[in-house]
Amino acid sequence: MNQTEALLSTRGLTVKYPYGDVANVVIDELDLDLYPGQIVGLLGESGSGKSSLALAIMGLARHPGVVSGEVNFRGQDLLKMDDEELRQIRGNSIGLITQKPRQALDPLVNVGKQISRVYRAHSQASKVEAQIRAVELLRSVGINDAERRVSAYPHELSGGMAQRALISMALSVEPDLLIADEPTSGLDVTIQAQFLDRMWERARDANIAVLIVTQDVGIVANYCDRIVIMEDGKITEDRATVEFFANPHTDYGKKLILSSGADAKASNADVAVITSPEILRVTDLRKTFEVDGGKRLQAVSNASFQIHKGRSLGLVGESGSGKTTVGRLILRLADPDSGEVWFKGGRIDSISPKEFRKYRSKIQAVFQDPFDSLNPRWPIERVIREPLDLHTQLSKEEKLARVKELVSLVGLTDDILPLRPGSLSAGQQQRVSLARALATEPEFLILDEPTSALPPAARADMIRLLKSLQERLDLCFIFISHDLSTVRELCHDIAVMYLSEIVEMGTSEQVFSAPSHPYTRALLDSVLFHDPSNRRVDRKIKTELEGEIPSPVDLPQGCYLAARCPLAEQRCRDDHQELIQIGPSRSVRCWKSVEASER
Amino acid sequence: MQKRKIDPLLLIGLIIIAGSLFLAIFGNSLAPFDPQEPVGDFSMPPSADHWFGTDGSGLDVFSRVLAAPRVDVAIAVTAAIVSAVLGTGIGLYAGYFTGRFAEIVMRISDILQSFPVFILAMVLVTLTGRNVVNLIFVLAFLYTPIFVRLTRSEVLTQRTRTYVEAARATGNSEFQIATRHVLRNSLAPSLVQLSVTVGFGILLTAGLSFVGAGVRPPTPEWGIMIASGAPNIILNEWWTSIFPGIAISITVFGYAAAGNAIERWARK
Repeated sequence: MNQTEALLSTRGLTVKYPYGDVANVVIDELDLDLYPGQIVGLLGESGSGKSSLALAIMGLARHPGVVSGEVNFRGQDLLKMDDEELRQIRGNSIGLITQKPRQALDPLVNVGKQISRVYRAHSQASKVEAQIRAVELLRSVGINDAERRVSAYPHELSGGMAQRALISMALSVEPDLLIADEPTSGLDVTIQAQFLDRMWERARDANIAVLIVTQDVGIVANYCDRIVIMEDGKITEDRATVEFFANPHTDYGKKLILSSGADAKASNADVAVITSPEILRVTDLRKTFEVDGGKRLQAVSNASFQIHKGRSLGLVGESGSGKTTVGRLILRLADPDSGEVWFKGGRIDSISPKEFRKYRSKIQAVFQDPFDSLNPRWPIERVIREPLDLHTQLSKEEKLARVKELVSLVGLTDDILPLRPGSLSAGQQQRVSLARALATEPEFLILDEPTSALPPAARADMIRLLKSLQERLDLCFIFISHDLSTVRELCHDIAVMYLSEIVEMGTSEQVFSAPSHPYTRALLDSVLFHDPSNRRVDRKIKTELEGEIPSPVDLPQGCYLAARCPLAEQRCRDDHQELIQIGPSRSVRCWKSVEASER
Repeated sequence: MQKRKIDPLLLIGLIIIAGSLFLAIFGNSLAPFDPQEPVGDFSMPPSADHWFGTDGSGLDVFSRVLAAPRVDVAIAVTAAIVSAVLGTGIGLYAGYFTGRFAEIVMRISDILQSFPVFILAMVLVTLTGRNVVNLIFVLAFLYTPIFVRLTRSEVLTQRTRTYVEAARATGNSEFQIATRHVLRNSLAPSLVQLSVTVGFGILLTAGLSFVGAGVRPPTPEWGIMIASGAPNIILNEWWTSIFPGIAISITVFGYAAAGNAIERWARK
């Protein structure tokens, strides 16, 4: 790639933040070249200066940052320009996509107007032309029904749509350089894949230089030509993606590749006949919530499954699929509209909250947000001791001994016991939550996305810990997640949820090796493997979903997936689908899949 | 690490608060003259014997300024603490267990807060009788809704946090969650308000006495002193009103400053 001239190159770029007498150097003498048509992934831990670099290139270093060095863009030094010149360059030639799309949009102006304003600020187009262009742009980034969406306000858009509105704004002026700061954090996997595909295509077609700031190895492996790793404001590795994955030089790079579990095989042996006793049984669970205007939002519908001792069930789905609600219903943090929950032969959904408290020591939970799950005012020792206080008659010394035992069980040390949750890292906080959940030796655990709020390295550690605990303690749990690779590693069985319904169920082995439902296939397709030789953009995508997840308030009459499914026929749109058994411990909610399996 | 700087506002506030509490306890014994016994000469300007002069009844102004915190500060501090304890408890209940009781409580505090505090205080004191205990109850009654509101709104945010859900999943009863978990995390705004409320309480106590609806003369009390000196200011007899006025200003400023400084610190 080096034969072409760099579009943008920084020389000795330094960003400092004065802090008392000393300066905090965020970016340290950094040299970086970006070439047209090349997609560069900028990796690094949080605090390594990634985002500061992205902003400094745009001349947007935050006050009171001090920037020195050179940022040469087509031979001109951006740092020497005055605001007006810089504004021209920014709008015309460099586009920026930030992390939180909805915050980057003006809530009082509809998206069409926002896009056309950007467009008109840098071209001579009339208002009408700009509006037409806005519709075209929205359509080009894959927003269906763009004519209607163009007059939508930011709060009426989903996160994915807002992100795409933002990218169409950045692309509206046909920039030569696009900087994307964690563009897909907070997006669902299928939406993330759609979005990145589109960005990748656009960059290819228009020969745009792209800098993606991310922590996700999957994104880099799949979409980037080159990888730059930043540590403490310096570049420690800058190589072609394929070379990097073959042989990372830095420790951080090695750790990144090791932490990627995406290509791990499902290691749990497939047990055809389950002989262990049943722990939990859920039948026809249903839950709706009332929303404004008297309408009802369907959160969970007809959920049925059972879990046997020593087994684990992965509940997979995108946001809004109802997976978290299923967990909450079992935990009695919400009451179902109908359906039954049985725990070891006793029905637990209709007993009083007071009676249910006896079961709390047997059914425990770990929640998604590591910091928010712990009382911020309590020392860790008290947090972990709480279930012992509530459910056991142990003496003070026995409790302390048990707390220490638990702390070491989850791989922490005693010296954290007097600390408050705020002074721990997210990974440590989540281990504390796990220790609290395990304190009373529960027979059943609900793990509600315990890894998704953790940074990549901590996530890998947490999964390893769960896996070893699963083997050592013969744990029985539901693992709720949107991360398929994690589920594959940890769970014996899988239930895939889409819009309040379970659409496919089976053992991990069955579902991963031969997904049957179109939604399951799409989910699997959108997994970004941490392997540049197996990129999503090179793969032939069998099932690409279109558009957005429909609103759970106005559900379609037929199959909920019909509007997005490439295989949909009239029958799909007319008839509601039932979950039909297609083999031992295997069922699917799609008549086409059922027919295919019978053939 | 930067050197930790003490907020000068907090320092000044705390010094003034400490001073006012000190005088509330020892002011009487420090006073050079009996604050309720005439010392002889009437309406004497400040002199070496009588630093702040004497008033129209021949009472030593300096001694009375020193002794007054026993009434003003004591009433305000007690009332503020009573209303904070009461208000936090009610606010916790109304915020955590939303329902009919909570609705009723909130509407009552709406009604209370829609009256001008001063007028309502005058009416209530007149109805219950003018003495220190009644004043404390009236002030506490008037200030409770402030703490109810503050605590309730904090509880409403805290109860949606995951740690509450986690406490429920761990096996706490609702009462245990409210008292062990939510309460401790909802106290910050009330603690800030406490100091400010004492300042307001001093102003209100003095104001009530000033219009003749508070404690009775000759009790040493700043509001009474200002009132008794006020008609004579046109005769150039400024000292009887000015000194208690300055004392009130400094004290109220001290409590308000400390409140603001605590708030600033709590937000960090």
